This record gives sequence, structure tokens and C-alpha cells, in this order.
Amino acid sequence: MSPSGLASPSGTPDPFTVFGLPHTLDLDETALERRYLRLSRECHPDLHRAADTADCMAVLQLAAEINDAWRVLRDPWLRTKALLELLRPGVLQQHQKLDPGFLAEALELAEEVAFASGAAVPQLRERLTTALAADFAAVRTAVLQGDLDTAARRCHAANYHKKALADLDLKS
Amino acid sequence: MTPPASNPTGAPNPTGAQNPTGTPQPAGAPKPAGGRLVVGIDLGTTNSLAAVRTGKQARVLRDQQGEPLIPSVVCFHPDGSTLVGRAAKALRLQHPERTVFSAKRLIGRSASECRADARNLPYRVVAGERDLVRVQIGARQWSPEAISALVLQQVKQTAEQALGQPIRDAVITVPAWFDDAQRQATKDAAALAGLECLRILNEPTAAALAYGIDGSKDGTVLVYDLGGGTFDVSVLRIDDGVFRVLATAGDTHLGGDDFDALLAERILQALPKGPHADDPYVLQAVRSAAEGLKIRLSSEATAALELDLGAHGTARLTVARTEFEAAIAPLVQRTLDCVQKALLDAAVRLEQLDEVVLVGGSTRVPLVRARLAAFTGRTPHTEVDPDLAVALGAAIQADVLAGNDRSLLLLDVIPLSLGIETLGGAVQKLILRNSTIPTSRTEEFSTGVDQQTSVDLAIYQGERELATDCRLLGRFKLRGIPPMPAGLPRIAVTFLVDADGVLRVTAREQRTGVEAGIQVVPSYGLSRDEVKRMMLDAIEHAQQDYVAREAIEVRNKAEAMVRGTRSALRLAELPPDQTYAVHKALKQLDALLTAKADAAALKAGCEALTKVTATIADDVIGAAVAKALRDEQAAATPPETPR
Repeated sequence: MSPSGLASPSGTPDPFTVFGLPHTLDLDETALERRYLRLSRECHPDLHRAADTADCMAVLQLAAEINDAWRVLRDPWLRTKALLELLRPGVLQQHQKLDPGFLAEALELAEEVAFASGAAVPQLRERLTTALAADFAAVRTAVLQGDLDTAARRCHAANYHKKALADLDLKS
Repeated sequence: MTPPASNPTGAPNPTGAQNPTGTPQPAGAPKPAGGRLVVGIDLGTTNSLAAVRTGKQARVLRDQQGEPLIPSVVCFHPDGSTLVGRAAKALRLQHPERTVFSAKRLIGRSASECRADARNLPYRVVAGERDLVRVQIGARQWSPEAISALVLQQVKQTAEQALGQPIRDAVITVPAWFDDAQRQATKDAAALAGLECLRILNEPTAAALAYGIDGSKDGTVLVYDLGGGTFDVSVLRIDDGVFRVLATAGDTHLGGDDFDALLAERILQALPKGPHADDPYVLQAVRSAAEGLKIRLSSEATAALELDLGAHGTARLTVARTEFEAAIAPLVQRTLDCVQKALLDAAVRLEQLDEVVLVGGSTRVPLVRARLAAFTGRTPHTEVDPDLAVALGAAIQADVLAGNDRSLLLLDVIPLSLGIETLGGAVQKLILRNSTIPTSRTEEFSTGVDQQTSVDLAIYQGERELATDCRLLGRFKLRGIPPMPAGLPRIAVTFLVDADGVLRVTAREQRTGVEAGIQVVPSYGLSRDEVKRMMLDAIEHAQQDYVAREAIEVRNKAEAMVRGTRSALRLAELPPDQTYAVHKALKQLDALLTAKADAAALKAGCEALTKVTATIADDVIGAAVAKALRDEQAAATPPETPR
């Protein structure tokens, strides 16, 4: 099974193409949002009520593509994964197995989150945020250097940091 | 792109929706630029109403008494008539077991799911086929869709009267938290009422539109919508006329009705011991009294009640607002938990909120306002009447869909995740909650057995991991797969959630390009065939009703003519030949009446009589007949009865 939302079935354009953007990780988020709102105005079925059923379906499909592309592009991690899949289809699945040393570390982290309380919570949050930023920087560098294997592995590793951060947020 | 193999929204429009009013258009009638008039309808648990937007101004449509709110109540009177709205609400104490309210709590749900609700309802809720929920009135079972359709019809009629022109197209609002089945059932109700539902719009989104009409003020808005039966909260971002819902949360079973139920419990306890709860009359009387208490407690510190229930005794009690507030506090807390969840999903922090907007009649309860203000740290907006805001917003979206306003755009979300059942009973999520709609997802499936030509898919909606914890929306059967060895077919199934939040499924076998047929068995609500059948029934009934009414009218007219001509003959002195001619025609018509002749024969008899009376000395008999007829008709015209 491909990671959620990244499957690009035949015929569906990739999110970058839908937005008319180059295949790159570095997107200006303000410009991206403006573009989304403009595209929505241009293509939303509410403002373009088609005459017949086939046209209706086409308009609907296009609006769905824009919304789905926006969902992927606005999230740096989903955007990264989409780009990796574009550059080398299957690369994420290929590196799903993480090195046991890292997994042990991740398990420890999860435990730490589960038992964190009081002043330890903001400290842990800070640490996790920093770790995620480091993950992203590493993935970006790897992509720029064309080392997609490293990028894919780091992407999976970052999932554990994200999960820990989400669990921590649920506690407060 | 391939056309959908099955169009779940493609129910035909009933041809019976002809121009119902021949009345001329009043001077102020709106003439939208697109030549289309689309109304916004708030189909509420307690009340329903319509609104329309002309120019930049949205206004609610009122009935002849100036009332905008139509109680969402239908009474199936023992005399065979069906009353809707205020007339029906007035009968709920007289005919509690035949007066249906809060049908919105039942729509799109199964009978088992409605069991808890049914216990508190004075009318009978039963399980129909496929465990569908039905209301039992006498020997007949009614679907919630049909009952909602009757309410919608009343709203439509009222709107048509107010506008002086027929209506076909509407935007209908639903709680944001309504799932696919509840949305589809609402669309079905609209079709049954002869309305084309152009859009199912989420109530909090509609309310946000009513508050930020021109969309000129950018910002982040929280809409808190506590109605009679449902609670919704939505977080919206407004950017340059684009209203974007970031997240929504809610509870389809939390509202003012639940506050009433807590007070009703107190009243029942104050009654002498006895099996009161089984008596529909007592239930209804207690419910009404509870609602009155709640309303008084919004402005008073204490409220006393003395409720005389005849043989069941008298309930005497005094309730302090503090007691009431203590009782409802857990329910209010539940709404705040939803607010928290919506903010989290929207990734919006409390301090980023620019405005908090209150909608729904139950936000009049002081505790609700106070707790929300304390939680958000903002004074909630209450400028727009909480009972009208949703309809006004729906009218604005209706105007956009009519093509009259291109400055606004709504981008809403799907409230609950959609997924399919995988091996082992887990649910694989395909579309995540709070995804902006329209949204789509294509998945590939294959076969497990050689030469297999069909695949079953079960679609679930909900957030839980296991299928048993989610709501089964329906089973889809993909048919017409070309026979191949197991695992070889590649069937791409596209799940598309349209702008109404309703799922459409299409499928195609990738190797052969063969379109797979999809057969849908909805778990809740009506199948497409049932909707079609009910609509045909409705048209047939309308025809029968029309024929029956015409026969009665012609008969009344003929009787009045016979009486009128007889008295005119006594008054006027006519030459013998003319007297004979009139007598002859009169006798013939009288004979037809006695023989209970059909409408056509009676009509012919009337015409024959008119002919003779018209040709004879006009000023002698004509005036006398005409006067006598006028008097007769004035006396014979029955008072207008609502259908």
C-alpha cells in the first residue's frame, strides 16, 4: 500500500503540475496559498455551473484535483513525499524498513512522551520540534544532492518524531 | 474522464412541480440577473424557513401572517388531512401520536440507532425493511424523508406566496456533522417535495456567510451553532471573498431538545407516581411545559410551573436557573470539547481567532454564551437573529449558484473520514476528515478467484479503526469485470466526494478499459429505485387529489346554482316559455346531482343551465340569479385549509 494520499493513479496529474509549479521542495507558502485561492476561483463548480452531466463531472474532477493538490503541497512532509515518488516511484516503499538502532531510540522517545508531565512537556516539545526541523533540513539536502535513498529513509524516521509530537499535543 | 456509472444524485425531477401559482408577480418581485431564482432553505429540527437574496440584500420569506418560522411539524389528522407547520404544532397535544416533529433526528439513520430518541417521542418509531427507521401513523408507515418533504413543501409554498412566483431550485442546509447518508436522505426529501436541491450547505458555513456577507473583512472565524437537535462548530478562514472551512466538528444528537428532556425529567418526577411516560399525551404536554420553562429560565432566576394533567395529576415545581445550569453543564462541556477538537484540526490557536459567531436558538441560553465567552476569551457576535442566520446565509450561497454573484466562493470540508473495509475488518481511510471538498481518491483493486467477475466493497464513514465502530454507508458491487485469472484485473475505483459532501463512486478495469457497473445498497435511507417510486407515487397522488378536489368543487358549484336559480325563479316574474326552459335545465342538473354524476357531466349541466338563464331577460333574472349565486358561493366557500 502506498503512503496515504500519495498514490498517483494513471491519468491524475501530480500536485506540482496541477498548480503549475516546478518539481521542487522550496515553495513560498504565501504565494502557494494565493495560487490555491486563485485556482479555486477559476475552477470551482459553484462559479462554473456546467450545462450537461459530463461537463459537470469534469469541473468537479478538476476542483477535486486542485483541493487534493493543495492538501499535499501545503504540508511540507506530504510535499516532500510526493516529490520523492515523482522523482523515483517506489522509493518510499523501498526504504520502509528502518535500522533497528533507530527504532529502539524511537521506542524510548515514545515512552518519554507517555510519562512526561509538568515542566518536562514544553522541554520535550522543544526537543521534538528541533529534531523535526533537522529531519527536514537533512531530507532537503539529500534531495538536492540527488540522494533519494537517504531522503526516503529520513522521511520515514521523521514520522516517529511527528507521532511523538502529536501524542504530546494530545496530552495538553 | 468517464461519466459516472451510477449517478447517486440523478433522481429525476418530478414533473408534478408545475407552476402552482397563477398569481401575477408583485412589483417588488426579484428578477435575478441570471434569470434564475434560487432560494435558501434552513430545514431545521424545530423550525424551517426560506430566504432569498435580491441585490446584495438577503431577506427571509414570511407567510401571510408575517411569520418566517415554519414549525418542522407534520400532523396526520384522523380525518385524513395532513397539516404542516403551525397548524400541525397546534394539534400536538390533541393528537400526540399522530403529530411528528424532530424528523431531522431520524433522517438517514437506522431504526436501531434511533431507539434512544424514540423512547422520548410521543409518536411511534418502528423498524421498516432493512432496519430503516419509519414513523407509524395508524396503519401507514412514513419515512423521515417523506415527512421532511412535507415540511419542505410547506416552506416552498410559503416562499412562493411571498415571492409571487414558482420556485424550483434551492440550497438546503444540514448540520456540518451530517454524514453521507443523512445528506443523501435530505436531498431525497427535497426531490420528493418537488425541489431541485442545487447544494447541500453546512449550517455553520451558511451562518458565517450571513455574518460576513461581502467577505470584505478577512479573518479567522469560529461559528458555534447549537440548534434544537444538533450541534456544529466550524472554523473558517475568510480571504478576499473566499470562505474556507478549515475544520468542523459536532454532534448530531446534542441540542436544545436535550435541555428540554432534562427539565421534562424534573416535571415527571413532580407528578404523582404512575406509568406516565407511556402516555403520548403526557409526554407531549410535559415536553411543551419543559420548553416553556427553559425559555423563561433564560431571562429569570427561577421559574415556577403548575401543570394540570387531569387523571395523571398535577405537577407543581419551581426550578432555579442555577439548578438548570448544573443539569445542562455536562452537555455544554461536550460542545466545548468539540470546539477544542475543531481548533486542533484547523491548526488554529485560540488567540488567532478574530471572531466568534453564535447561531441556533439554543445559544439564547445564558450559560452557553457565558461558557463559550470564557473559553474563547471573545465576546460572541449575536447581531443576526440566531434563528434566521442559517437561512440568510443559504440565500447568499443560492445567489452565487444562480450565477448572480461571482465575488464569493465557499470551500467546505467533509466532516468524517471515508474508508473501505479491508481484510480482517479494519477500515482503510481513503478520504480524511476535514479534507476540502470536492475531493477524490482513486484506489486499485483486484480479484481473489480465477474468472471472478464482481468485487464487493463496503464503504464506511467514521474515525475509528475497525469497521464495526464506523458507520456502514453502503455496499458497492463492482460488476462486469472481464473474466481473468485471479489478481490480474486492475480495477481503479474512484471515490469522489462532491461539493454537497456526498460520495460518488466510479470504477474502471484498467487493462481492458471496461467500465465496471456499480450497484449500491445504501445501509440507511432510500435506494435510488425507492426514491423514484415515491416520486411517481407523489405525482399520482397529486393527480388523484386534483381530480377529487375538482369533483367536489364542481358539485358545490352545481348545488349552489340549483339553489340560486330556484330562489331567483321565485323572485322574478318570467314569461311561461322562459320559465319552462329554465325549469327544464334546472331539473336536469338536479337529476345529475341526485345521481352523483361525475364532474364532466355536472359541468355540462351547469353550462346548460347558465346558457338558458343567460339568454332570458338579463336585467330581470340575470341580476337576481347572479346575486343569489354570489351569496350562495360566499356562504359555501370553505375556509382555507392547509394541506
